[in-house]
Amino acid sequence: MSLFEARGLTVRYGALAALTDVDITLEPGEIHGVIGPNGSGKSTFIDALSGRRRPSAGQVRYAGTDITYRSARWRRRQGISRSFQRTSVFGSMTVRAQLEMVARKNHEPDLDLIIDRLGLGPVADQACAQIAYGTQRSVDLALALIGRPRVLLLDEPCAGLVADESATLLDHVKELCRERDVAVMLVEHDVEGVFRVCDTITVLNLGRVLATGSPAEVRANEQVVRAYLGSAA
Amino acid sequence: MSGTIHLERELATDVGQPPAQRERRLRGTVVGLGIGLAVLLLGLATPYVFTHTYTMSLLLEVVLLSMLALSVGFLARHLGMISLGHIAFFGGAAYAYGIAIMKWGWSPGAAFVSAIVIGTLIAVVMGVLVVRLTGMGFLMLTLALSQALYQLCIQTSMRPITGAHDGLLIVVDRDSRFFGLTPAEVMNPGLFWPLAWVALVLCALLLWVVGRSRFGTVLEGIRENEERMRFSGFGTFLPRLAAFVLSGFVASVGGALFAVNAGYVSPELLGFGRAGDSLIAAIVGGLGSLVGPVIGTFLFVYAQATFNLGGNLPLLMGISLVLVLAFLPGGITGTAGRLYRRFKPFVARRFGGSPTADKESR
Repeated sequence: MSLFEARGLTVRYGALAALTDVDITLEPGEIHGVIGPNGSGKSTFIDALSGRRRPSAGQVRYAGTDITYRSARWRRRQGISRSFQRTSVFGSMTVRAQLEMVARKNHEPDLDLIIDRLGLGPVADQACAQIAYGTQRSVDLALALIGRPRVLLLDEPCAGLVADESATLLDHVKELCRERDVAVMLVEHDVEGVFRVCDTITVLNLGRVLATGSPAEVRANEQVVRAYLGSAA
Repeated sequence: MSGTIHLERELATDVGQPPAQRERRLRGTVVGLGIGLAVLLLGLATPYVFTHTYTMSLLLEVVLLSMLALSVGFLARHLGMISLGHIAFFGGAAYAYGIAIMKWGWSPGAAFVSAIVIGTLIAVVMGVLVVRLTGMGFLMLTLALSQALYQLCIQTSMRPITGAHDGLLIVVDRDSRFFGLTPAEVMNPGLFWPLAWVALVLCALLLWVVGRSRFGTVLEGIRENEERMRFSGFGTFLPRLAAFVLSGFVASVGGALFAVNAGYVSPELLGFGRAGDSLIAAIVGGLGSLVGPVIGTFLFVYAQATFNLGGNLPLLMGISLVLVLAFLPGGITGTAGRLYRRFKPFVARRFGGSPTADKESR
């Protein structure tokens, strides 16, 4: 039994199938990357796993129980947390006020560690809308990390960051998650970053799983190379 | 701040700050309550300053209608929700008072309490139906439900209870007392003033303290980003409902006091006109601060008494609303606050005062 899994997950927007029959498993402590070209269903996938969008068919299972129709709030309280591709923070509140608010709710004992690791100390008392976009991405991530979730669903945490920034961000995500024993589903556009930090990689194409395996296996997979990685890999 | 993320492990030196902040916050609350108490006591002197009955009656009207504007402003400020439904709690409580006296034969005190309870219950019922909505949907549904109550109230078949279009004349037992006041004294604005003033200040302080509390922080989170709140493990329905009911309670207190003092209730108390007036007053005064709606109500009542000779009040209100929306974003108090912040460094330099004293007096 896996910690977190999707079975036959299908999401249709009207006649368009955004996601078809996707199976995926996540083990404790694993960092599982999901990559794919634009429109391959990555964001829909995270939305269906996190309770933002109801799947048309299939199941989401957590520690052996079916949680497909549980609310976002329920999932968060049970230890399944997510970040957002389009930064989702509380603009008018200071960084510290919003992190403290969420920390109180989710019984985070060591908020200062998260603030420290993500380098948010210097901006802690500024309104979130006033700080740089890259720093807002870190706040978004911090909001998801609070409360020691068991499963973390990251929706393109590096979107909008330059190469250097995304490399360090991914390294720190990895470090924090290893330390706290969090299983991560990392949907990401930055292919190099994903290959570097992930234990397992799933490639989506046109809403279907093209391949799953270790970074080396996926890199060697002919279908993947043809459909997505091209000669660059 | 540069555009890079600060991922270097710089040890944040201000980790020990939260307790200090909490202490500052607590001190702010104590200072605010102190100021509130001073305002409360000072305001009690009003009838001795303005001895003219007409002036007092206008000021009393300001205070009673302020509670409606205050409640609408609270919801707008903390949840970003603009309600046209609060007139149902104000008018509903007023009617409940009249009905309790005239139909059930209750004493003024019991009728007053039941009026507030009934007004608040109407807020619970309406709140359950509307607080999931935001923006235009919320505005329209609160309007629809409050006007449904208005229509219900003026039905001919309701005449035995509400008096339909005629309303109710509230005649209380001559020997009864309302907080020690005889029925005649209750209608005297100078003698009724202390009750209304104390109620207004206490309601304002209540809303202010709630706004600063942890619950207030949760409301701000919901206003800023409802979805992220849910994804952070918060329920958003109950806090919204609680805030809606709390503001409904304040409007009910205002409505009940209004009925006690006026000695009659009429359908106009539930009408769209009054709902719109209080909203415009709150916007002109400024939704961003606690006193804004009170200032707006003061201006409205003053204008109503002074400029309404040709029946042109709505025109003047329309013009002033346009002017405020176009040139004074944040209303009068919002603009005053901005000017204050702009000139504070100048004043501080000139007179050597401390510019950091009151940053969070909102």
